[in-house]
This record gives sequence, C-alpha cells and structure tokens, in this order.
Amino acid sequence: MTGDLLIMTVFGSIGIAIFGLFFGLVYKGIDRKIVAHMQKRVGPPIRQPFLDVIKLMNKETVLPENAVGWMYSMAPLVCLASSIILLLYIPMGGLDQVFENGALLGGHGDIILVLYLLIIPSLAMVAGGFASGSPFATVGAQREMVTMMSYEFPLAVVIIAIVWKLSTAGGDVFSLSLIAGNPIWNSVGLLGLIGAFILLLALVIVTPGEVAKIPFDVAEAETEIAHGLLAEYSGRNLALFYLADGVKTFAMASLVIVLFFPYNISPVLEQYVALGDFTILVDFLFFLLKVFLVLLFSVTLVRAGMARLRITQVVSVYWITVTLIALFGLVLLMWDNQFDVGWF
Amino acid sequence: MLPMLGQLLKQMFTKPFTNLFPAKYAPKNVGKYLQDVQAGKATLISPVPVADPETFRGKIVYDREKCTGCKMCIKVCPSKAIEFKEEEKKIRIYIGRCIFCSQCNDACPVDALHMSEEFLLADTNKVADYLVVE
Amino acid sequence: MKYEIPVGPIHPALKEPIMIKCTIEGERIVDVDVFCSQNHRGIEWIGMNRNNPVQSIYTAEKICGICNFCHPSCLVMAVEEIVGFEVPERAQYIRVIQGELERIHSHLLWAGVAAHELGFDSLLHYVWMVREKVMDILELVNGQRVPKDVLMYGGVRRDIKEEHIPKIREMLKYYAEGFDKIAKLFLQDKTIKMRTREIGILTKEDAMKLATAGPTTRASGVKKDVRQDMPYYAYPDFEVKAITPDMLTGETLGDTYDRIVVRLLEVKQSMEIIEQALDEMPGGEILAEPKVMKVINQIKKSEGEAIARHEAPRGEAIHYVKLKEGFEYLYAWKVRAPTYINILSWRPMLMDMQIADIPIVAASIDPCMSCTNRVTIVEDNRERVLTAEHLHRLSVQKTRRLMK
Repeated sequence: MTGDLLIMTVFGSIGIAIFGLFFGLVYKGIDRKIVAHMQKRVGPPIRQPFLDVIKLMNKETVLPENAVGWMYSMAPLVCLASSIILLLYIPMGGLDQVFENGALLGGHGDIILVLYLLIIPSLAMVAGGFASGSPFATVGAQREMVTMMSYEFPLAVVIIAIVWKLSTAGGDVFSLSLIAGNPIWNSVGLLGLIGAFILLLALVIVTPGEVAKIPFDVAEAETEIAHGLLAEYSGRNLALFYLADGVKTFAMASLVIVLFFPYNISPVLEQYVALGDFTILVDFLFFLLKVFLVLLFSVTLVRAGMARLRITQVVSVYWITVTLIALFGLVLLMWDNQFDVGWF
Repeated sequence: MLPMLGQLLKQMFTKPFTNLFPAKYAPKNVGKYLQDVQAGKATLISPVPVADPETFRGKIVYDREKCTGCKMCIKVCPSKAIEFKEEEKKIRIYIGRCIFCSQCNDACPVDALHMSEEFLLADTNKVADYLVVE
Repeated sequence: MKYEIPVGPIHPALKEPIMIKCTIEGERIVDVDVFCSQNHRGIEWIGMNRNNPVQSIYTAEKICGICNFCHPSCLVMAVEEIVGFEVPERAQYIRVIQGELERIHSHLLWAGVAAHELGFDSLLHYVWMVREKVMDILELVNGQRVPKDVLMYGGVRRDIKEEHIPKIREMLKYYAEGFDKIAKLFLQDKTIKMRTREIGILTKEDAMKLATAGPTTRASGVKKDVRQDMPYYAYPDFEVKAITPDMLTGETLGDTYDRIVVRLLEVKQSMEIIEQALDEMPGGEILAEPKVMKVINQIKKSEGEAIARHEAPRGEAIHYVKLKEGFEYLYAWKVRAPTYINILSWRPMLMDMQIADIPIVAASIDPCMSCTNRVTIVEDNRERVLTAEHLHRLSVQKTRRLMK
C-alpha cells in the first residue's frame, strides 16, 4: 500500500509538474494576447512564453558579486517547487475522477495547508531578493513582505467564511474535496447569496495581489525599482521564477474555482448525450475554460485597466477596504443562517 | 471611477490599430524576408501609404547628367553626407549619414537632387550599395 | 536605517541618462541629489566651429528629437534679429501652426509616458494611438513624422498647401471630439488620482524661486508663458493666455495631477490657435530670401548679438547668439533648454515622498536630457565636480572673452 502510494506520488508529481508548467505558460500567453487586443495591439503569439523560457534557459546565469550565493541560487528552485506542490493538493475538474480525493494528494492535506503553501513562493522570492545584494532588490523584497502580510488577512476571512458555512453540514470541513463537493451557492438563502457574491469579489481583488500583477505588483514595479526582486536575476534562475509565476497563477485560479465554482459540466451534458469515457476530458476542458474566465476578470482585465498603487495604498486597500468587504460578506452569511429571509 | 475598464472591454473586440508591416509577427531576418517576398515565397503587408508624395522626404535621387559640380549642396549639408569627386566634378551621397533635411534640394541651382518615396533604408552596413548614391 | 538608491543613469523610468540619487528611510525619501551631464554631445561647439549658420539650423533641430521646432526657432529668431531679415507674414503664421502642432504631439507623448510610469500601459497605448493623427498631419505637411526641417532665416521652407488644410481641419475635429474622452480617462480614473493627487507638490513660492518654466510652473499657479508675456511670430494676433489648473478644477495645488491638467488644457488651447491661424492666414511669400548662398553671405557680413525666447512644449527655450563680421560660423551660441531649469524642482517635489513616486514625479516636468546636457569635464580621464564659485568664475571669464 505504502509502496503504491509512493510510486503514484512520484510519477503523479512529475506528471502534474509538466501539466502545471505547460498550462501556466499557456495562460500567460493567452493573458498577454488578450491584454494586447484590449490595447488595440496585435501582441505576441500565444507560444511566446515558451520561447521566452527557452531563450532564458540559453542565457548566461550571472551571480552578482555581493550576493549570498547559495540562497540566491536556491530561491528560484524553492519558488518553483512550492508552486508545483500547490497543484498536488488543489482538486481540478475532470481530474477529481482520476484521483481518489480530487487531487493527487487530496486526502493528505487541507485548505490550511494550501494557504501556507501559497506563501512559500513569495517567501522564496523575498529570500532571493534579500540575497541579491542590490538596493532595488532589497526594496522589492521589503515590499513583497508587506504585500504578503496585507493580502493574507482578507484571504483568510474569505476562506473562514466558506468553511464556517460548511461546518453546519459537518465532516472534515477544511478538506478541499468537501468544499468542492458542496458549492456555497447551493446552501444559501438570499442574504447568503449576496454575502457569497461579496466574498467572491474580495477573493477576486486578492488574486492579483497573490500573483503579483498590476495594480498590486509593487514588489516588481518595473518603472520604479527595475523589477525589484528580480533585478539581479538572469538566465536559468529568471526562467525558473518565470515558470513559477505561471504555475502559481494557474494554481490560484484553480483555488478560486474550488471555492466558488466547483461545478462540472458533465452532469448537464449527460442529459443530452452519453459521454462515456469522454466525461473526464469534457470536465477537464470545462475546467480550463473556468480558469480562463477567472484569470480574465481577476488578472487580465484588472492589470490592463488600472495604474499601479503605492505600497502604502496597497496595505490600506487590503487591510481596510477588502477586509471590510470580506467581513461584511461573512456577516451576511451568518445572518443568512440566523434570519431566514428566503426567496420572497 | 475606473473609466478605462469599459474602454478596454470595448476595444477587445475591435481590430488592432497597429500597422502590421512587414508581417503579423516580426520575421527573424527582415532582409531575408524581403527577399522571400520578391521571390514570391511570402506576402508583405504593405506599410502606411505616403501621405503626400510631393512633400515626402525619402532617399535622395540624384540626376547625374544635370549636375554641374557647383558644390552648393556640400556647403549646406548639415551632416556632411555629400562628398565631391574631384576628377569627375560630380558628387557622391552617403545615405547612411543623410538626415533627410532636403536642404541640398533647395540649394541646387540646376534641380539635380530630389527626394523620393523610398524609406526602407536601415542596414547594418552603412556603405551598402543602395545607401551610396552617385 | 538610511540607504541610497540610484535612479539612473540607466533606469527603466528615465529613458535618458540622468541620475537622481535618493537617500531613503524605508520607503520615504529624505534626501535628493541630481547629477546631470551624463552624456555630452558638443552641439554648441559644432555650431561655433564646424557648421555654417544654415547647417546649424539642422544641428539645432537635433538638440531634441521631440521638440525639434523650438530650438531652431530660437536660433532663427536670434539671427534674424541681428541680420534684420523681414519675415513675411504668411511665414509667421506657418511657424505658429508648426509650433502648436509640435505642442500637441509632445504633450500627448508625455501623457502616454506618464501613464507608463504609473504602470498604466493601456492608457499609454490609447494616448499614443490618438497621437498618431497629429503625426500623420506632420508627415503630410513636413514630409516626415518627426523632423520638421521647415525653418530658414527669413521665413519657412515649405508652405502649407491648400489641399492640406482640410486634412488639418479634420484632425482638429478628431481631437475636439476625442478630447473629453482623454480627459475622462486621465482625470476621473481613481487609481491615477490616488497616484498623482498631492504627490510631488511644487508650491508657487518654490516655482518662483527656482524660476521654473512651462507647464511645470503654470501648474503651480504662476501665470508665465512666453506667448503671453513676449509674443513673437504671429502670436500677438492670438492673445494666448497662460493656462493654470484652476481653469478646470477650480483650485491650484501644484501637484502632479495639476501638471496633467495643464498639459491637457494646453492641447485644447493649441487646437484653438491652429484653428484661428488657418482661418486668418494671409497669402503671399513665405521666404524673404530664397537663395541660400545669399542668406549665408548676408549672415557672414553681419555683426551683433541677440537673445531669442520660444515657448517650447516643455517650457521656455532661450538661445543666445553672437555674430562677428567675416566669421564663417556663429561666433557664440548658448542654448538653455527648458528642462535645464526645471530639473532643480525635483528636489522640493520629491522630498518626503515615496520611492514609488520617483518615476511619475520625475516625468511630471517632462524632462528631456538630450536637450539639457551641456557640460562634462573630463581631465586625466577623471570627472570632477565644479563648485558654484568655480563655475561662476568660468562664466565671467567666458563673458569677458566674448566681449572682446
């Protein structure tokens, strides 16, 4: 039994890693193309991120003179590895029929673990930034830490609200497969519906901060601190960060889907046509479409339509505005349980 | 509050504004690409047409026969792009140095110099054949 | 803990070589020092030693790529004053139109750059798309998109043709219709307001003390505009009024937001000037002396000195020119670009701001280093810094030399 699990974990992890890297880059390409079209440009071809990675892999990897060598070189590896590990725990549409608990290691970790894993890539970047020994990277690392502290709280509020709602049903409420199995929209009244919408809004605002995109990309602000954390990175190390960014974005979008849109399309289609063996494929394609829509509204559109904020404004937006929004959503969910307003 | 978002959603479904000269995605080697176009192997997306051929200032056209060798153009050329050939009493123009001010056109007493519509004049070799007008 | 971060000489925020050394405490800026002259091109030297005055017009155009009308305009005005060319009235109107076309394209370019500094690339692409219209008109009228090459002592070299006028009017209509939209995208956007309101404040007193020029000074509420104070060319006919931000927003704070407001209003003002100029443009000659060689000889025979001022998009450009009889080149030529005087305002603007504000505040004066870099001293392969007293002594020596 243990042997089977070990083999499955090893080969499954490699499979998931390749899968995550591939779709991370594909979504990066789609994101760039859509932003270009929004700006009335043609934009790069969708395969451009792959070409970028190949180019970076071929370039010289420079170690700055006053960098802390081992930390500087380890940071990108840790960042990429932890981003891929995230994918092992998050259930994905279609794949939940392949694996027992929704994801490869679905039964071995819960949403609290995912919350912690989400922090590790950022921490690795902070470590890499401080180890670079450049004033720009140092400023970037400080900013990344502050951003991290600011978006964690509203994110935690959103997750607690959902888990609390589930706790009325009982069971291991922190388990991701349970959350995915019981979509929040199914068990709420009118107040709860509004509350859930508000929570979704808060999560959509947290997403660009989590994946470091405009307006919350203060840590990498190109025009201000010359890509901050990544100022000194080049060649293979930069390629690893680039890949990690793609994977993390994909994982974050999957998490949003698990929390709010865990529906599969196959039950709907089954009524009209017999899907048979294609069920997994259809569900998986539907999942990819959902990821695309989440990224379109929470990353692509937001990053194209706003100016970058200052670090103090990032903190006040997350700590005051978004937290208040999320808490209001939580309160609405609680009221929903207390006073049954019903559906009129 | 965020007026750009609406504008972006509107623009998303319109045609790109960019003029895609010479191809949709930049070719690896523009020179080779243009050769391919001439050989009929590739298609060229045409550049924006010249607004007014009469006023446009492109590559200089030199009428050798008319030239009397008065050196007037050399006197007014701000970038010293024109060289005098002593033995023939004619001039040689290095387009690589030319700033297309067309001052020599104005100064020429016999109207031997003109500006054409040609503008694809970028090259790594600044004394390439087509960049030296004699 | 205090430490220094260098912005420049090569930095993604400033595309040209200049260095701002900021001492920071966390994110707060506690001290600012600016190091100019990272790049010296010796343009004045060329004008005084290598090129004759006609060639120097085009050298002057190359001082700055964007405002390539203001510098030759200053030079031409100064020489015309010394030699006494009578510029035909039609030429004066064409010069006004060219100058205002340049202002429109320069301000729109700046608006795009400012958006980029804020990380708002969609707005950059939108504004530059709108800017293409005026670039098309410049190409139509001048034959090329950027270099105008239109000025000559005693007039202009190219007329604005009858068939071009409807197209220019079409452009004015396009901008009149699109103006409200650009103003809305810039001035009502919440994120832009968050990043520019009360950021980089230059008080009226500081603006006066530092003698800043152009939109930078007008945004602080100083009503200063060469076109209003000392009208040249055909400007007396247009009654230009200096634009201050309170005309739109009702208050003057002197911050970055106000500088955006001023530039947007100036685009509108330029459109009105062009419209009026097209209506009132008289017919007739465009050049006092069509033969170039005669012009060169006439300048060679003249003697005297003059100062010319021109309201460039970035502020007031000043050229000092001295001619000596029998001397083939300009005997003395001193260029003062608007950025040179505006750069000093970076210090009061940046003090107590955050690192994030450096790019947008630095860009808010619309700096143009290529115009500004004038002096670099390299002795024994070593650069040295000149003190104020030393510089003053050198200036006195140079003035004495010129007076001889």
